[in-house]
Amino acid sequence: MTSKDECSTTDTNQASRESTNMSQDIVSSVGNSVIQPSGKVFKSTKARSSNKLTVVLRSIWQRGEGKFALIVLALWVAVSLVSLVWTPQSLWATDGYHVWAKPSAAHWLGTDGTGADVFSWLMAGARTNLFIAILAVVFAGALGILLMGAMVSRNSALSNVSVVAVDALISIPTALIALILAVPMGASVAVIIIACGIGYGLNLARIARPQALLAANSDYVASSLSYGASGFSVMLHHILPNAMPTIMVQLSLSAGTAVLAESGLTYLGVGVPSGVPSWGHSLATSVKFINVYPLTVLWPGLIVTVVVVALNVFGDVLRDAIDPVTNPELREV
Amino acid sequence: MRFVIRRFLLFVAALLAISVVIFAALRILPGDVASVMAGLNAPPERVAQLRSQMGLDRPLIVQYFSWMGGLLHGDFGTSLLTGRSISSMVAMRASVTFPLIVLGLVVALAIGLTLGVVATLATRPAVRSAFHFVAIVGGAIPALWGGLLLILLFGRGTGLLGILPSQGFPEAGWSSFGSALASLVLPALTVGIIDGASLMRYTRSALGDVMNSGYIDQAMACGYTRRQAALKVGLRLATPQLVSVVGLMFAGMITGVMVIESLFALPGIGAGLITDLGNRDLIAVQSELFMLAAFFLFVGFLVDLLHRFLDPRLKHAVQGGAQ
Amino acid sequence: MSVEVKQLGVSIADKRIVQNVDLHIGDGERVGLIGSSGSGKSMISKAMFGLLPTNAQISGSVMLGDTQIIGADETVLASLRGRYVGAVFQNPASSLNPVLAVGKQIELPLKLHYDLDKADRQARVAAMLEKVGLDETTAQKYPSELSGGQQQRVGIATALITSPRLIIADEPTTALDSITQRQIVDLLVSLVDKAGASMLFITHDFSVLARATTRCYVLDNGQIIEFGDTSDLLNNPQNGQTKKLVGAARELTLQRKRDSDD
Repeated sequence: MTSKDECSTTDTNQASRESTNMSQDIVSSVGNSVIQPSGKVFKSTKARSSNKLTVVLRSIWQRGEGKFALIVLALWVAVSLVSLVWTPQSLWATDGYHVWAKPSAAHWLGTDGTGADVFSWLMAGARTNLFIAILAVVFAGALGILLMGAMVSRNSALSNVSVVAVDALISIPTALIALILAVPMGASVAVIIIACGIGYGLNLARIARPQALLAANSDYVASSLSYGASGFSVMLHHILPNAMPTIMVQLSLSAGTAVLAESGLTYLGVGVPSGVPSWGHSLATSVKFINVYPLTVLWPGLIVTVVVVALNVFGDVLRDAIDPVTNPELREV
Repeated sequence: MRFVIRRFLLFVAALLAISVVIFAALRILPGDVASVMAGLNAPPERVAQLRSQMGLDRPLIVQYFSWMGGLLHGDFGTSLLTGRSISSMVAMRASVTFPLIVLGLVVALAIGLTLGVVATLATRPAVRSAFHFVAIVGGAIPALWGGLLLILLFGRGTGLLGILPSQGFPEAGWSSFGSALASLVLPALTVGIIDGASLMRYTRSALGDVMNSGYIDQAMACGYTRRQAALKVGLRLATPQLVSVVGLMFAGMITGVMVIESLFALPGIGAGLITDLGNRDLIAVQSELFMLAAFFLFVGFLVDLLHRFLDPRLKHAVQGGAQ
Repeated sequence: MSVEVKQLGVSIADKRIVQNVDLHIGDGERVGLIGSSGSGKSMISKAMFGLLPTNAQISGSVMLGDTQIIGADETVLASLRGRYVGAVFQNPASSLNPVLAVGKQIELPLKLHYDLDKADRQARVAAMLEKVGLDETTAQKYPSELSGGQQQRVGIATALITSPRLIIADEPTTALDSITQRQIVDLLVSLVDKAGASMLFITHDFSVLARATTRCYVLDNGQIIEFGDTSDLLNNPQNGQTKKLVGAARELTLQRKRDSDD
């Protein structure tokens, strides 16, 4: 589990930290629609949010570990894209005479048990894992935000039921969801995405709830409701922006867990089907031969570890970069 | 007390919901369970025979209630492949998996709590970032790969320091205690080290929050040193949070355990479930999935109770926005 | 116990929080330290008995009696805290241990510093509870079962149980309503005077200051900008910043009076 369960206690310290955090957001959201004292009118919302993105990315880049995370993630995306049009060797160029070959000019990391090029398969695996991570995160984000909205809803029946359901279901591990799904669906990328989406979505809803609740119970939500704002618009304009930093950090950690889950589930035969390149697939196929060719197992594991480290580090650095309290630059945008 | 009853009712409701989901997952197969189990080239008579043998020709609602009725009586059905009762199969597998999880948890707690506390109390920036590095990298290692590395290091026959068995579990089970335990050492280390790294991060973050709080100032003002305050007050105050984390981790461990059991060829619940799934022994799969889900829901139930018990603030808290 | 602070400086992460602070508390004297929030008041009080966060850099000198605090060993500091120096904190709800019965918390300094048997300790706790105006059954209760005022009485009892020579009260009334504030200040002052201890009373509220102290220092941006007799300072502030603070306090007091008259 990569989730932070920090919010489950009623620590007053934390509550006060969250409320300062929140008041910062109020300040900035007020600034959004008014003319600044200097008389300068704010740019449109769109330009503003892209400014915010640049500021966040810049403050991540300014830290050593943030630089590492950004480089690894950029490399991951680049390799995935390149692998769509080019790999050093064709994935299907197997050669029965050169199985388990040592690294050479033609095969940079040698060949596997079918004589296929290890490096090319790892390159192609990058795109499958990227695809899975992105879709799992999108799914988890959508589910998590929906559940979070339901949990802080003013409809008490809806909020009670959703709180209770999330609390109960959170203890079902992702792997078990995947196994249940795999019964009718067989081994498929969709199993990983749906299982991770459900598991991480539940987690996200529980972790983002305290922030959302603080916003939902705040005076400014009460006042916009009194002006006739709909529940949906309050969710969109007040609750979501307040919970967004927590959600983003949690999703970046979830992306790392999704990469780990892929390797485990694929090895268990309920993840990526055979013939589809993925890091889990590369790892699983070389497992049986570790006694004979220990080196081939090194690379996929190393890649997964580095990528997951990068995603976790990214989440950690993002936590500071996205918070107007710890990142004063954000307030000026 | 009202909380306990409410939480228990929730546990039962979730259990029922999960049973319906599992039941449905096995019924929306293309074709039906019988034809899947009989295989692609089976003659129709064989499929029909299987169907009536398993009661699949009855209406769905009857099937569901006969399954649930059996479960209530402790009758989990019979494996069609081996002809043995599923409950005895699961009991035997649990005798491998349960000790493995407990050992893994012990390793994780020993590593995670100790290093977490040391990392929180460390004052030198270099030491702090070293601990941070260890925690982040440790938690990012895929279980499968971590297990392989340990085999390459310590596995008998293959390892650089070949001192421990890395494949299988003794036929005689726990009656040959020494070798049974030895065969669980590497698997438990794999599970424990990876989860220990995550636990270390949680410990550091939970204890770190407490250490910045007024509770520690107060304890130190009474005459504790910072270290004493961390151990005697800080850890106790971080406990409710850590219990929740460990509870979830315990449930999450099964993911790693399935992989690890398969890798180390241990006849446990995880590996067994995967085998049954591969063999399409779906009646067994159905009951096993349900038992696992029930177990995790129960752990979640216990963790919530424990959390409540450990934090009197929750008990006395007036119903309000803070919780 | 007298306190002599000379050229105290505190910085955290290379950011100067407190600088060039000189401060004197005579034996048995009650001295105030006032400033707006963020002016560095708490950092000064924490520096005085070794409670600063571990990443803080400290310079200058703090003498408690004959003991130099700055640079002292953690065990030396711990042996002073709770024995010669007692502390009352701002918000008892976030400083009293929530999982420990009140009696055990009041008992803790006795347990750490004195070799007394259990019955003796409990008798002293019971006597102390009576002194702060709580009944004996409070000892078995948890902080969350008490009101804010009662919690702060427990805080005071914990600080005074060992009859320390110096009490550091860091905004002890800020978290309370105005009527309870007065009661708590009066209780604290009478107990400190009875014990003959010195007190450093930190606040941002001038109306409380007059009740609690005879002399005071005004802190702004980490530096002392004015000091003198509390009554002089209130009636005739010299520094512009002090005038502002006093003015704001007067308005607040008037408003409160109006509120309570309604």
